Amino acid sequence: MGALLVAIAFFGLMALGMPVGFAIGVSGMIGILEMGPRFMQMAPDRIFAGLDLFPFLAMPFFILAGEIMNRSGITLGLVRLADALVGWMRGGMAHSNMVASVMFAGITGSATADAAAFGNTLVPAMEKAGYKRSYAAAVTAAGSIIGPTIPPSTLAIIYGSIMGVSIAGLFAAGILPGLLICAICMAVIALHAKKKNLPKGEGRPGFGIVIKALREGFLAAMLPVFILGSILGGFATPTEAAAIAVAYALFVGGVIYKALSWQDLYEIAVRTTRITGVIFLIIASATILGWWMTFNRIPQAIASVLLSVSDNPQIIIALILLLLLLIGLVMDINATLIILAPVLAPLTVQIGMEPVHAGIMIILALNISLMTPPVGACLFVLASVTGEKVEAITRELWPFILAEVGILLVVAFWSDLTLFIPRLLGL
Amino acid sequence: MAGVSEHAKRWSLAVNWLVERVCVLLLVVLVLDVWLGVLVRYVIPLPLTFTEELARYLMIWMALLAVSSGIAHREHIGVEFVFSRLPASVRRWLAVAFDVIAFLFFFALFFYGIGFAVKGFSRFTMIYAIPKGYPFMGVPLAAAMACIQLALIGVHDFFAREAPTSTGVSDATMALRGDD
Repeated sequence: MGALLVAIAFFGLMALGMPVGFAIGVSGMIGILEMGPRFMQMAPDRIFAGLDLFPFLAMPFFILAGEIMNRSGITLGLVRLADALVGWMRGGMAHSNMVASVMFAGITGSATADAAAFGNTLVPAMEKAGYKRSYAAAVTAAGSIIGPTIPPSTLAIIYGSIMGVSIAGLFAAGILPGLLICAICMAVIALHAKKKNLPKGEGRPGFGIVIKALREGFLAAMLPVFILGSILGGFATPTEAAAIAVAYALFVGGVIYKALSWQDLYEIAVRTTRITGVIFLIIASATILGWWMTFNRIPQAIASVLLSVSDNPQIIIALILLLLLLIGLVMDINATLIILAPVLAPLTVQIGMEPVHAGIMIILALNISLMTPPVGACLFVLASVTGEKVEAITRELWPFILAEVGILLVVAFWSDLTLFIPRLLGL
Repeated sequence: MAGVSEHAKRWSLAVNWLVERVCVLLLVVLVLDVWLGVLVRYVIPLPLTFTEELARYLMIWMALLAVSSGIAHREHIGVEFVFSRLPASVRRWLAVAFDVIAFLFFFALFFYGIGFAVKGFSRFTMIYAIPKGYPFMGVPLAAAMACIQLALIGVHDFFAREAPTSTGVSDATMALRGDD
């Protein structure tokens, strides 16, 4: 009875449009209330304990560094650099959109922020150059999931913190899948280029222009190198690296570019606190619901259902991916991760997967769900920013979704590929 | 009755004005604290051990207080596929219902959070043995602020001339879309 009530509240409120953080918290609270009022103090207790993790500090810091870089205009240099590198091809602006997504990935960990920024700048530019708006939005949506796959990634920080898996290892393992997604999306664009007769760029830029773009993008491009270098090299924890990234962004934006006023800094700080509040409420609420689920042994029930289908590891992996992609269709990915990671992680250990490999597989599956209709967050942000209908973007998006699911399968079933970089770095 | 709605919105923004500044202050102290931690670990080896503990508590206070700020600016994002397709009158009632349900949730957190914080005064933090009640107080305080904002936003939604079009769209998205 309790489980049914919680499920109705959870899915019902969320489907009707209640903010995700509230809907999860309310359903968790209903579950606890049904167990008996004496358990109610577990709600504030779990909220505090769920947030009281040092690695979580990396999240507000990476958000802050990204906001500073964006506000000071440093990131524009990256877009120009991407354009100089691949913009001359047929479908060049679509290609440079992808390459810019990779470059941005090293600065922000938020797919929706990237989608909003690109949707507002690159989509109109692509439309002006002769691309269909729905196609430009679809390319941006497909590229937006590269950001949270390539480190720094919020999901990797959350997964690493709650499951006790090395965040540095997850960061390292995210690099290749992120690059592969970029490559396969560029392949899809190349296929489209002829069939859809995508506009051609202005021809190969001269050496001088490339050098100029490299110089302009250099300071921004150094940030991810710096962040990853210090974390993967074992010099700093993700939190420390994120704090140093804030200092770097402030120095470049404020001192070198002189592009930040006190008012800018205040607004950046306000935005950072609010974005953090939104994410942390979802995490905190999911912790309440997660506690209720654990208390009622629901994770074990889900695991035993999955294991009852088959004990073949390949089939279990396929079932896990199917479950994540299906739930991701209708659920916020941070919440899904916090609620399902404790269910799925032990299962992956049981079938002999490496924790880092399992983590990156789960993270990638959730990222893909950011762009799947009907409610993928990136898809929604893009529809909202560009004024294009979700349905129209979706029609252009399918080839990219299929290609990215293909990469997900490669990542899931070929552990040596995923673990190549972590092993190389000894993580 | 649109005047009531305007008043509620104005009060909401006034309360948020203060909360926002407190959050920014907490963020600034947090950044400085972690920088200090990095400095003493890598550059000047001083025996400062409070930085990690303080950072965690500052982060929790900042993030939880910012929850009410997100309510004031409707930044807590929901899945609006269904909501945005409903008629205006249904949207209005649904938005108010969400405000009421969320209010009850935060009120329960506030109520039980007080007991949680009081009990916390008999437990001590690991490094400096400070009563945990102080950091714990962030939970009921933030829940109370969320209740205040939800009440004001609920009144605003109920009396506003136009029914809400969204239960939560980020300011950034609104600004980019040109609705702000």
